[in-house]
Amino acid sequence: MKRPPTSQPTTSSGATAREDGVFNRRHFLVGTATSAVLPLSFGTTGVREAVTDAALPTQVPSSSVALLVNGRTHRLILDNRTTLLDALREHLALTGTKKGCDHGQCGACTVHLDGEPILSCLTLVASVEGRAVTTIEGLAQADGALHPVQQAFIDHDAFQCGYCTPGQIMSAVACVEGDRAGSDAEIREYMSGNLCRCAAYPNIVAAIRAAKTEVRS
Amino acid sequence: MLGSRTPSGPEILPPRYARPRLLDEALALRHGGAQIIAGGTDFYPARVGRPLYDRDVPCVLDLTALAELRGIQDEAGCHRIGALTSWTEIAEAPLPAQFYCLQAVAREVGGRQIQNRGTIGGNLCNASPAADGVPALLALGAEIELLSRAGKRVLPLSEFIRGPRQIALRADEIASAVVIPKPKGAAHSSFVKLGARKYLVISIVMAAGYLDVVGSRIAEARIAVGACSPVAQRLPALEAALKGEVAISSLSRLVKPEHLAPLKPIDDVRASAEYREEAALTVVRRLLEELSA
Ligand SMILES: Cc1cc2nc3c(=O)[nH]c(=O)nc-3n(C[C@H](O)[C@H](O)[C@H](O)COP(=O)(O)OP(=O)(O)OC[C@H]3O[C@@H](n4cnc5c(N)ncnc54)[C@H](O)[C@@H]3O)c2cc1C
Ligand code: FES
Ligand code: FES
Repeated sequence: MKRPPTSQPTTSSGATAREDGVFNRRHFLVGTATSAVLPLSFGTTGVREAVTDAALPTQVPSSSVALLVNGRTHRLILDNRTTLLDALREHLALTGTKKGCDHGQCGACTVHLDGEPILSCLTLVASVEGRAVTTIEGLAQADGALHPVQQAFIDHDAFQCGYCTPGQIMSAVACVEGDRAGSDAEIREYMSGNLCRCAAYPNIVAAIRAAKTEVRS
Repeated sequence: MLGSRTPSGPEILPPRYARPRLLDEALALRHGGAQIIAGGTDFYPARVGRPLYDRDVPCVLDLTALAELRGIQDEAGCHRIGALTSWTEIAEAPLPAQFYCLQAVAREVGGRQIQNRGTIGGNLCNASPAADGVPALLALGAEIELLSRAGKRVLPLSEFIRGPRQIALRADEIASAVVIPKPKGAAHSSFVKLGARKYLVISIVMAAGYLDVVGSRIAEARIAVGACSPVAQRLPALEAALKGEVAISSLSRLVKPEHLAPLKPIDDVRASAEYREEAALTVVRRLLEELSA
């Protein structure tokens, strides 16, 4: 059975990131009975906003984490058990990273930690303090231009339902940038941690092959 | 169900979390009963349907910031692999042919994301009968180094892993390194894994072999098979048959079914005992073909 999200959006008085990363007034607070959250957002105005959920039990041991995601620091106070995946999706509203299996078997939750692909569902958020996390939302340029790997996935029709795609693309970017796309066999080995229920594998390999040429030039 | 990672009642409170940079601090926390987490790639999946942390654990000790326990050192008479060394680091390290079996394991443990986080120490301490690192390290004659505030202990791997998920780790200890002796002559090794598909698969049978060749003859052979007994087993009768043989001859012809007597395969979700028994013989023959080449 699939695990319900650790936290549900419960009120409308929290803080959420806009697409440009600046926090807007349409706040969005996430929390559960056991998960405390204290987002401190640093907007362009330099105004710091803090929101707490008074209903949370105070005795829940939690950690204050400075989370560096896609070049921006977010300060969160989270239950020690929170995974990076849940922090991204439920607390930072970065829902591009997908929850497939939630125990390390599918690759849908792949993000980069200091440039290396890892599984965010198997990573405690407290353990990535001070390290750079990149998610699918962080790949495109500020002007919206897609990363060559993203573009190649579109050009080569490398997905069907798209659920595995953010994870596939994060692995593919590391494969190409780490110079691990020398042959189809090498690509397949590198990408073996990302399952695709729609079996778009041949097109995924073709997209990576094409992106490699693009990234080189 | 998975939801128990974040139980709704207040009865199972999450413990304190610590990720020290200093070994002394880590040993002090461990002395106080902290529960260890390294790459987390066994830790989480093993807790599906259970609380994320054991009851009454005062602290979770994340070892991943301990730089001292990471990396591979070439020392007099041995190589030391820090317990926190990831499979990716092992696969990409410039190591002699002696380590081919371990580097092959490193490329076959899960997928790339698992290899980036999963550690050699975690693989051994988790002590799954299907842990790919175990037969390779048995073949390499590895010992494991255990640290506590009371000092250091060193155990042969075969004594450290006592049964499925049972290890000789005291509650105040941290596994700090794997120590692998250097060969007398020119050593090489190999690893063969049989799973239901090529990648991202738990082994049905896996075998690792190591040959130390002095002159043209095998001075020492170690062959270990995993996933066919509660703990991976060496095959002493086969090792004895290999000793003294000319290394470049076709060694697979020496493998006899009775050499596999130490194995006690069982039926499970991945294969039947009968299949495993037959597959183990084939896998060991393939291993020896690779070692002869
Ligand atoms: C999708 C997937 C595929 C996998 N495929 C394979 C595979 O093909 N082959 C294979 O062998 N394994 C596989 N694994 C299992 C796992 O990735 C490896 O065993 C890995 O090496 C575990 O290391 P870790 O650092 O993540 O351990 P953790 O999960 O952090 O720890 C495992 C256990 O060891 C203890 N521990 C860890 N380090 C130490 C230490 N230094 N001292 C004392 N205790 C310690 C922990 O307390 C815990 O009980 C797979 C896992 C997943 C999720
Ligand atoms: S959701 Fe993390 S691997 Fe499936
Ligand atoms: S595109 Fe549907 S799972 Fe991959």
